[in-house]
Amino acid sequence: MFKKLIKESTGKSPWLFHINAGSCNGCDIELVSVLTPRYDAERLGFQLTGSPRHADIVVVTGPVTAQSLDRVLRTISQVPEPRCIVTMGSCPQSGNVFRGSYAIAGPLSKYVHVDVDVAGCTPKPEAVIDGLVLATKILEEKRGQMK
Amino acid sequence: MTLILEALRYLVYVLIFPGFLFCFLTGLLLCGIDRKLVARMQKRVGPPILQPFYDFFKLCGKETIIPAAASKTTFLLAPLVGLAALVVIQLFIPVFRFSAFSNVADIIVILYLLLIPALSVILGGAASGSPYAGVGLSREMVTILSCELPLVLVLLAVAKTVGQALGLGLCFSLTKIVEYQMEYGSLILKLSMLPAAAAFLLIIPGETGSHPFDAAEAETEICEGPLAEYSGAPLGVYKLSHAIKILTMTSLFVALFFGGVGRGLENLVMMLGVSGGLAGALIFLLEILVLFLFCVVLTFLCISVVHAVTARLRIEQLFKYYWTVVTGLALISLVLAWYGL
Amino acid sequence: MDFPFLKEAVNGLFSESSCDMYPVKPSEAAPRYRGRIVYHPDKCINCMMCERVCSGNAITHSIEKTEEGDRVTRTFYLGSCTFCATCADFCNHGAIEFTGDYHMIATKEEDLMVTGTFIKKPPVKKAAPPKPAAPAAAAPKAEEKPEAKTEEKPAEAAPAIQPRDDGKPVQDASKCVYCTICARKCPAGALTVDRAAKTWTLDEDLCVGCGTCAEACPKKCIII
Repeated sequence: MFKKLIKESTGKSPWLFHINAGSCNGCDIELVSVLTPRYDAERLGFQLTGSPRHADIVVVTGPVTAQSLDRVLRTISQVPEPRCIVTMGSCPQSGNVFRGSYAIAGPLSKYVHVDVDVAGCTPKPEAVIDGLVLATKILEEKRGQMK
Repeated sequence: MTLILEALRYLVYVLIFPGFLFCFLTGLLLCGIDRKLVARMQKRVGPPILQPFYDFFKLCGKETIIPAAASKTTFLLAPLVGLAALVVIQLFIPVFRFSAFSNVADIIVILYLLLIPALSVILGGAASGSPYAGVGLSREMVTILSCELPLVLVLLAVAKTVGQALGLGLCFSLTKIVEYQMEYGSLILKLSMLPAAAAFLLIIPGETGSHPFDAAEAETEICEGPLAEYSGAPLGVYKLSHAIKILTMTSLFVALFFGGVGRGLENLVMMLGVSGGLAGALIFLLEILVLFLFCVVLTFLCISVVHAVTARLRIEQLFKYYWTVVTGLALISLVLAWYGL
Repeated sequence: MDFPFLKEAVNGLFSESSCDMYPVKPSEAAPRYRGRIVYHPDKCINCMMCERVCSGNAITHSIEKTEEGDRVTRTFYLGSCTFCATCADFCNHGAIEFTGDYHMIATKEEDLMVTGTFIKKPPVKKAAPPKPAAPAAAAPKAEEKPEAKTEEKPAEAAPAIQPRDDGKPVQDASKCVYCTICARKCPAGALTVDRAAKTWTLDEDLCVGCGTCAEACPKKCIII
């Protein structure tokens, strides 16, 4: 019963951590707008945390520059299990317009398993909510498989 | 036999009523109400009221990472020390006439115990070996330092007022303070106590580390400070302690300044014509309910509204604010009480 | 200390929230929002203009030779798309469309692929083109065709030229000022225009019939 309680709670309280891996700031602004009164993701339990150790969902924006790659991977590895990695915007999925640049180490999926991709440049806040809700479901599944 | 019964009674106290279970439920509920109210004030829908429960259970199910630089035992035990201290404080705070432990100097004990949760945060932060925690714990230290002086003055003023009236000099027993109020009316009605009550209201957000006095746990600048390295269940315990602290501070306020309300409740039950054991039970339930309502109102006033309309203060602004404005209010009260007004 | 937002906060407590309630209440994208790409392979002529202008290299194609013709599969990878709609702007046949569907959520890369396949028939009728120019001259076409085009201007100035039936451009020499814009715009490099000699030459093997030249012509003297 306790396990079920934990599993259900996991789905209701996903905390976000946002990594900017060289983003143009467009996706960053849209992610923050998801938490504003208009979209208010907090009513679904989403909360932006300051430390990766508190997070459940890691949102990566930006094309993962060569400079940020090491930091991104180190930050992601600090997130406790069960965790979910969401890429936001086209950049972390493929490099977008920066693809092929000497300064880009992406796409992110080369290095870690990405659970959810939210496409768009930048995605609408509604699309971000969609992606996060899907990530929450994956998170709950992962929690169910633990222990 | 009586010894066993006595032990059982205390066990119930510690684990269920004013102790752990009660703290757990009401604390998290207050925290949820606070979050909902803040959201409503910002014209948001806000999280469900049970959100802190979800958060807590989720954190219980997360992996606990112990950083390589941390000293493991201290890192894991520090949150429990803070939680235990808060539960013990709750045992000392009377729910109107009911009090689990009563002592000649409750207030002094509470004063000491109130330091322990803050110290446990400092301890845990220091043990985690993170520079963010280092910055955070130094700020936490300044915060408790600045809250402690006005808090002591407020408690002294109350103790002096009640002590003078009872002919004891200084009365440090919370039970006596509440009983005095039951007899002669709540202290909030006394003119000399108004500044002290105002000062205490201003101490509540500082002591619980909520906006705008949360420089120690500023999540946007120093990654939640001392909690930066915590994950999983220990983090959940810290969040729980934070929630219980809201309950502790607000119920302490009720005990200090609104003790007389208990009398009114007793009269109410009498008027309804209930007597005997049933009356006792009814009074008891009513008292808990009224205490909870008071806690909600105080949470709204001191934590939610303040959270919704202010931005975070810098640590030296916080210090200055507490040692000038709040201490000043408490001092006025103390001086008035000393001259028996 | 003063609290400038105290009034708003208390008002907010008693007024309705300004939330959109998104997942509960579906929300439409704004008009002309550029969301998921819809590709119409039946309209596509495989001119590759979209691939050339795509800044994110999101558009790729593969060609498979079959007996009916080239089987062209064009793929749009939304995960690399900037949604700038330059490809749709450059597509003269309207084969690329941006819709208001913003739900581009995927757990696998394939979910973000938009593909379309069509068969491009080889230019079969090589004999047909010179029809408008010289109906009598139906002899050796291989060398004659470029010639026929250039000879058009003195011969048939007055009558309006007719479009070719294979979708390739025809020049109206009476209006042409040989500005070379069409040659510069041609994605396939099939046009050669010599200003001095006043010639306009089409390499039919290179031409994909995209219509960019007709679009770009300031005198509107190219007909598709």
